[in-house]
This record gives sequence, C-alpha cells and structure tokens, in this order.
Amino acid sequence: MSSDVTLGSTIRSEWIKFRTVRSTIMGVIITFVLTVGLGALITTAVRAHWHTMNPARQLTFDPVSASLSGILFAQFAVGVIGTLFITSEYSSGSIRTTLAAVPNRLELVWGKLLVLAASMFVVSEIACFITFIMGQAIFSGVVPSASLGSAAVVRTVILAGVYLTLLSVLGFSLGLILRQSAACISVFTSLLLILPIIVFLLPQSWQNTITKFEPSELGHAMTSLTTPTNDFGTWTSLIVLSIYVVVVLGVGTTMLIRRDA
Amino acid sequence: MIKIDHLTKRYGDTLAVDDLDFEVRPGVVTGFLGPNGPGKSTTMRIILGLDRPTTGRATIEGKRYAELRDPLHEVGALLDAKAIHPGRSARNHLRALAASNRIPFSRVDEVLEFSGISSVADKKVGDYSLGMSQRLGIAGALLGDPGVLLFDEPVNGLDPEGIRWIREFFRSLANEGRTVFVSSHLMSEMAVSADQIIVIGRGKFITQGSVDALTASAKGTVFVRGANHQQLLAALKAHHGVVHEVNDEGLSVSDLTSDQIGQIAFEAGVALYELTPQRASLEEVYMDLTADAVEYGSTGARRE
Repeated sequence: MSSDVTLGSTIRSEWIKFRTVRSTIMGVIITFVLTVGLGALITTAVRAHWHTMNPARQLTFDPVSASLSGILFAQFAVGVIGTLFITSEYSSGSIRTTLAAVPNRLELVWGKLLVLAASMFVVSEIACFITFIMGQAIFSGVVPSASLGSAAVVRTVILAGVYLTLLSVLGFSLGLILRQSAACISVFTSLLLILPIIVFLLPQSWQNTITKFEPSELGHAMTSLTTPTNDFGTWTSLIVLSIYVVVVLGVGTTMLIRRDA
Repeated sequence: MIKIDHLTKRYGDTLAVDDLDFEVRPGVVTGFLGPNGPGKSTTMRIILGLDRPTTGRATIEGKRYAELRDPLHEVGALLDAKAIHPGRSARNHLRALAASNRIPFSRVDEVLEFSGISSVADKKVGDYSLGMSQRLGIAGALLGDPGVLLFDEPVNGLDPEGIRWIREFFRSLANEGRTVFVSSHLMSEMAVSADQIIVIGRGKFITQGSVDALTASAKGTVFVRGANHQQLLAALKAHHGVVHEVNDEGLSVSDLTSDQIGQIAFEAGVALYELTPQRASLEEVYMDLTADAVEYGSTGARRE
C-alpha cells in the first residue's frame, strides 16, 4: 500500500490553508492596489509634466518601467504574504498539527513553496499586465508608449511579475529561518530599503560595484527595457536574485528539518 | 501500542525527559501524570516526531512517527487546543488537515457532528472558547479514525458536561481496542478517567500501575485517641512511629499498624478510646510520590 501523504495531497492541503485566511486575501488586494493604483498615479503624473521634462531625460525615458513603478511598493505586500504563510503557523502553534499530518518536512516546504509561488505568479502577472496596459493607455498621444507587440516589452512585463514572485518566496524563506512575523518583515524591509541607503553612503566607486547586487537594484534591472548604467543585464540580474532566494530557502529548509518544531 | 525506549531530552541545561522507559497498551485508557513542567508535553511531542530525542526513541506500532505512511490514520493527537490559526474556520482547518492525508471531506462533517461543534463550524476559531477549541482539537484527532490517540491536558477549559463527555469518550475509544494516552497534572481527574497510570516528576519515571494498585500501595495512617496524648506520643516515637498531627482530638500516625499501636498503648498503660485505620486517597498518594519532583513547590508558612 502506498502512502496517503504525497506532494499532491500536501499541495491540496496547503492551498486550502493559503486561501482561507484573511491575510492572504488582504495581501493580494493590497498587491493589486499598489501595483495598479500607483502605476496609474505615476503614469498620469508623467503625462502631465511631460512637456516640461528636460529633453535629455525624455530621450532615455522608459515607458515600460515607468508604468511598472508600483511594484516598488507591491514588493512589500508580496513579501508579507510569503512571510505570514509560514510565520502564522509558528505564532498560532499550528505548525505542530501541520507537521503531525505531514511528517516529511522537505515535502511540506515543497508543498507550501509551490502553492505560494504559483499563486503569487498568477496574481503578480495579472497585476503587472493590467498596470502596463493601463499605463500605456494613459501615456498615449502625449508620452511615447510601448506595445506588447515587442518581445522585449513582453519580457520586461513578465519579469516584473517574476520579481514579485521571487520576493514572496524570499519572505517565506526568511520565515522558515526566523519564525517570527515581525523579525522577518524587518529583515525583508531592511534588505530592500535600508541596504541601498547604506550603500549610498559609501564612496562613489564602491557604489558602482556594489549597488547592482542589491535585491531592489536587481529588480530595477529586470524590469527596465534597457539595462540601467552599472547594473547587471536582465538575465544576469534574474539569475543573481534567484541565487539569493534559493540560498535563503535552502538555509530555511535545512533549519526546519533540523530544529524541534 | 506506544513504546518509549530509554528516552531522554535535554534543552540546554534542562533535562526535560530523563531516561523514560514504558509502554502504553491498547484497550485501556492510560493516564500520564506529573506535576506541571516540561516532561509530559515533551514526551508527547517526541512521540509525534516534532522534537528530536537526545537519546532513546519513541515508537508507534514499532515505527518512529516519521516512518508512518499515513500518520493521521495511525495516530490522532490533541496537543494544544488553541494552536490553530485564529482567522480560519473550524471546517476549513479540518479540511486542510483532511486533504493532507487524503481523507474525504464527508469525514470532516462527521467529526464536527460527533464533537458537537457543527453549528459553529464556519465561525473563526479565534472566537472559540477554550472548551470549543478542545472539542475542535478532538475532532481533528479523530479525523483519520486512528488506532492510537494522544491527548495533552484535554479537560482544561471544559465545563462539567464536557468533562463527563470526554471521560465516556476515552472509555469508548479504549473499548474499541484503541491505545488512549492522556496526560494530566490532576490525579483526581486521572483517578476517574484512566485505567492505568504512569507517574513522572521532573522528567523521571516514578511509578506505574492500575489506579487500584497505586492506592493500595500507599502508606495509610491510623487515627488514635486516648487518655494521655503526651505519653502516647513518646511511646509511639520510641517504636519508630511517625506522628503527623497532634491536637486535642487525637494523633495521626503512620509507619505503624493499628495492631502495633494498640499493643504499644497497652504496654505504656494509656487507655485508648479510638483506633481507626485510614486509607490514603489517590490524591495523597500522588502528592507523596511527586513531593520531591514539584518544580515550583510552595514554601508555605516560611514565606509569611
């Protein structure tokens, strides 16, 4: 007789858990509001000031990344969704019930990871495509706009969703290590907001080499049509960010397996 | 059957479980008794594979928990009734649990009905009273219809009706041939709900046996009332009797039988008016057994 507990049943169980708490629903709504809402606000502002913008900046203006600016804020919402998916199990104590039902801890991580990544990918891609199409409609007639007819544009919009998905997994991975929501969210926010400020205080020559390694800068490179100066290229940025996430996830998974629940 | 095999668990400097070694058999309700402290819950967590033992092992039907193919079908556990995401409904909590072990959702409705919380199944668990949470925890333990059941302090928070319900429920589970392992820090509770009792203190094994055997093994006392208590006291002490209470009413004596006391009084020339053997209550036996093992014993009069 084969075991009743498989990756499939674990995914089904985690999917029920994921969608039956308010924090997930609120997180998804906030992700949409921040991505689409701020996208609308920023593109409208650009359109209004376009004629007074200096010509040099008009030349290098990237309509794709401008319409996707909302993800700079949505990244915190997806990070919180990922974090809470595991830390709420520790704060409530339900991790014990979960592990009694699924004793294979590696399988549990896979189940949660696949549910989280698949849901956040779908949510993020929908939000990014909506904000892109809306942004270009707002630009239309005044600001040069981009079209999904270009492969590079499609790639950039897709990578914006991939960036948000990776950050939700980063939040989840930090949760496996730290177990506490507040600690995780502090570390997550520090990586994205405080780290760039610290780097900014360093000498210029150092900044040029270090900045491109910052998670937020990797995201900036992934979601720009043309690679910003001093940054890694699009695909290299994706790979570096993925390596970060995989390393943190690996450490988190090892700790879950080794530690008492 | 649960087998605890020379189990030791150390957290830093604290020895939570100290070389425990016992078996929990099917068909009876086994009480796991000890003063408040980490030993009982830690043992249960190790049985469930949540904590890793420092040395020794715990097995269920010969297998470690991690080796069970269908854990919820083999073991049902209620560790902490409040350890459920407060924002989720009872039904969704049980459905997530059921899905992980491929248990049909119809079974979720059955256990909700059995536990008497069907009518509140779609409310958030955070709004539940402790008693309702205990019932939900029991529903969760029964989900896979397991042969081995573990309950950690299950009567906490239950009203008298709930306590009576849970006692009958344990009994019926045992009568169906299941292994039922129930922890408590209350001897009075175990005396009525358990058949077999395992007593631990500070993580160490103290004793094991049926409720009747434990009471019988206890040292009783004898109440003595006589003409001259001072003289009687001196005579009893000379014969290595231990006198607990001296007042105008009489003396309470242990370590001597009523026959011996009668003989001693006769030889001392003290007339006896009353000589009554008193059997210790299970509660007293327990207090006696665990006296050295209470983690935070009250210092009584000295503090005042």
